[in-house]
Amino acid sequence: MSSSDSSLSISSEDPSDRNHDLNPKSIEDQLASTSLVEIDAQEPEDHREIQNGVDYASAGEGSHHQEIENNDEEVIVDAAQEELPSNFGVPGGLVEVEEASMGLGRGGVVWMRTNSELEVDRPSSPSSSGYAGERGSSGASSGGVSGTDEVVEDEIQEDRNDAVDDVLDSQASWVPGKRHVDEDDASISWRKRKKHFFILSHSGKPIYSRYGDEHKLAGFSATLQAIISFVENGGDRVKLVRAGKHQVVFLVKGPIYSVCISCTEEPFESLRGQLELIYGQMILILTKSVNRCFEKNPKFDMTPLLGGTDVVFSSLIHSFSWNPATFLHAYTCLPLAYGTRQAAGAILQDVADSGVLFAILMCKHKVISLVGAQKASLHPDDMLLLANFVMSSESFRTSESFSPICLPRYNPMAFLYAYVHYLDVDTYLMLLTTSSDAFYHLKDCRIRIEMVLLKSNVLSEVQRSMVDGGMRVEDLPVDLLPRSRTFPHLGQHKLPTDSPDRFRESYAGVGGPAGLWHFIYRSIFLDQYVSSEFSAPISTPKQQKRLYRAYQKFYTSMHDRGIGPHKTQFRRDENYVLLCWVTQDFELYAAFDPLADKALAIKTCNRVCQWVKDVENEIFLLGASPFSW
Amino acid sequence: MGCSASLPDRSSGRLVGANSDNGGAPDAKNLRVKLVLLGDSGVGKSCIVLRFVRGQFDPTSKVTVGASFLSQTIALQDSTTVKFEIWDTAGQERYAALAPLYYRGAAVAVVVYDITSPDSFAKAQYWVKELQKHGSPDIIMALVGNKADLHEKREVPAQDGIEYAEKNEMFFIETSAKTADNINQLFEEIAKRLPRPTTS
Repeated sequence: MSSSDSSLSISSEDPSDRNHDLNPKSIEDQLASTSLVEIDAQEPEDHREIQNGVDYASAGEGSHHQEIENNDEEVIVDAAQEELPSNFGVPGGLVEVEEASMGLGRGGVVWMRTNSELEVDRPSSPSSSGYAGERGSSGASSGGVSGTDEVVEDEIQEDRNDAVDDVLDSQASWVPGKRHVDEDDASISWRKRKKHFFILSHSGKPIYSRYGDEHKLAGFSATLQAIISFVENGGDRVKLVRAGKHQVVFLVKGPIYSVCISCTEEPFESLRGQLELIYGQMILILTKSVNRCFEKNPKFDMTPLLGGTDVVFSSLIHSFSWNPATFLHAYTCLPLAYGTRQAAGAILQDVADSGVLFAILMCKHKVISLVGAQKASLHPDDMLLLANFVMSSESFRTSESFSPICLPRYNPMAFLYAYVHYLDVDTYLMLLTTSSDAFYHLKDCRIRIEMVLLKSNVLSEVQRSMVDGGMRVEDLPVDLLPRSRTFPHLGQHKLPTDSPDRFRESYAGVGGPAGLWHFIYRSIFLDQYVSSEFSAPISTPKQQKRLYRAYQKFYTSMHDRGIGPHKTQFRRDENYVLLCWVTQDFELYAAFDPLADKALAIKTCNRVCQWVKDVENEIFLLGASPFSW
Repeated sequence: MGCSASLPDRSSGRLVGANSDNGGAPDAKNLRVKLVLLGDSGVGKSCIVLRFVRGQFDPTSKVTVGASFLSQTIALQDSTTVKFEIWDTAGQERYAALAPLYYRGAAVAVVVYDITSPDSFAKAQYWVKELQKHGSPDIIMALVGNKADLHEKREVPAQDGIEYAEKNEMFFIETSAKTADNINQLFEEIAKRLPRPTTS
């Protein structure tokens, strides 16, 4: 494996590590040479954080964070402000909110800004709109937490015994749609929810809330608006408020404000990325021209315009905990034989040449093939939002549809028209056009496409791939020489009857070789990723969600603009060993048994990369025009 | 008489390129008609269509996005067949501005309200006015009071519907997609009112 220019910057962040750039080494050499700086879970939090800016505290240590949002406009820290380096103490920029007013156990909230002298006494009062964190009554933290778990864990139902089913489809048990409509900000249960999302207008009118009835949350919404405009009046922008274990993240897009209030310990960057997607989803439904309604009437009530779209948003929010595309900004393909995907691509190309802007064939959230008209490029985030919109709207399944949609990254101002048709229960075709009277043409195109797909057995291959699944860590070739059995159920089209399986049995319950549990490989050039199937011991949706959250943090730390980007990172905590390797061509994220041997883990990562290269014809869509130049 | 069990035009390869304006197909015995359903969200437009096309009723409401396209052919007693190409539009406010996209060139408009909701009746009147202004001049309009099975919750008297329909030269009927009451009758009545092209 050549790792042409990957250098090492394991969390130690020793500047001298950069020197490795000069002499390319394999990842083994790089990591081995720095085993001394490997961080283990015992290392003091603060040290780790300051060293590499990674917010990686385990549960319970959250309130000692010292996170610095280093962005000209503001600096936000939480409770530990007395530990701040003194040079951060910009005079007058420090605002401490009274603890009592937020009902926080300890610490309170500190806003620190560098360019304004504003004072805030209390951003919210508990009586009118106070969002009380789960540690609402000080001193009852432990009891509060356990109580919270009961109320909150509805994000993914996990009270199922059959772990195997969960492995097959972690989304299966999730019911779309809005829950807890009866709640409002006075409800204890509402206050205890771990992750809230709100959309509101610049006049403080609620537009969307993940939990509870928007109309009942008018007061709360107005409070959020007050916080935002208060800071804006000072010529500043509020991006993050930390309050104990809670983070309040703000995203302002013209007249539309999005806010996330979360105690999930996800990094700020992840939460802001999620708000961007939620805003994008709204643009997909309405286009940005909705802003004009606010120009005409600042008090415009937008909720009716989003009528019936609760499922779209709730399904997007749910995907934040299971779909890596939401933080990788890449899409994934359904594994298919190269020829099969080519056949699908050829007929889509045919259609695109007849005036269709984008022709996309997908199976659930995985791409079978897609084609764009000349020079038209589709951003992975747009694909994510479009697929989420189509999959969460049941009506698309009942018949063929023709609907206006907007691709926020393609053109946020204008509608495109989407012809959507399900070819079978999971496989759907989307034909996008700029012309509002193209329906009958697109219908003809679909009939042609469907015929070709049936004739060339693409649809049956798709079904088979769904059954077979993707890459399994158990199948990782142990030695690299015999390439023949790299990807048994794809590459070789092995006999239909699974002969007594070599590794799968022996590794049952412990994942793949060297304690490999899971990996995600993202090809930078292709804007695509491949993720291994979940297998024991990461078998329940809850464990999967936890792993994704860990990847998310890892991703954020790797892409940290302040100190990063890093090229490799090895991290061991009580749950996993996580290893990340970023080169010009790809990013690899791998999770191992927490007791995994480091040298072996590194070796295994090399094997994974080799394996991915060996089967790239089948797991990626190649030869398609790049999506973003 | 009744509905032939054709699937929603999965097999129909005989599509006219542009569209069959005003339903005038050349063949007098086999009419093709573009029909659009309009009305407030939640009044049961999709339920009416699915009952008519597939004989199904699904009580879990599925919000229509944009518009769904379905077709169904019925045979009349005079041995003519009528193929309805149905645009089932979304009732949400955000799609109101896009309605012309779907009712343009329609020979038939079915305006639906919910007999338990005066608001939806008001919305139906809005659609009638819009069609009178912007629809095809010779469009056939039907006013449909749906959810007739919920008569104990009725808030729009049948008489109101009848009077409004008469004033606006519409055909009026109350239906229940849930019990299938008057669903086929609705489409048969429409079929009878279609102008027959003079035989060429």
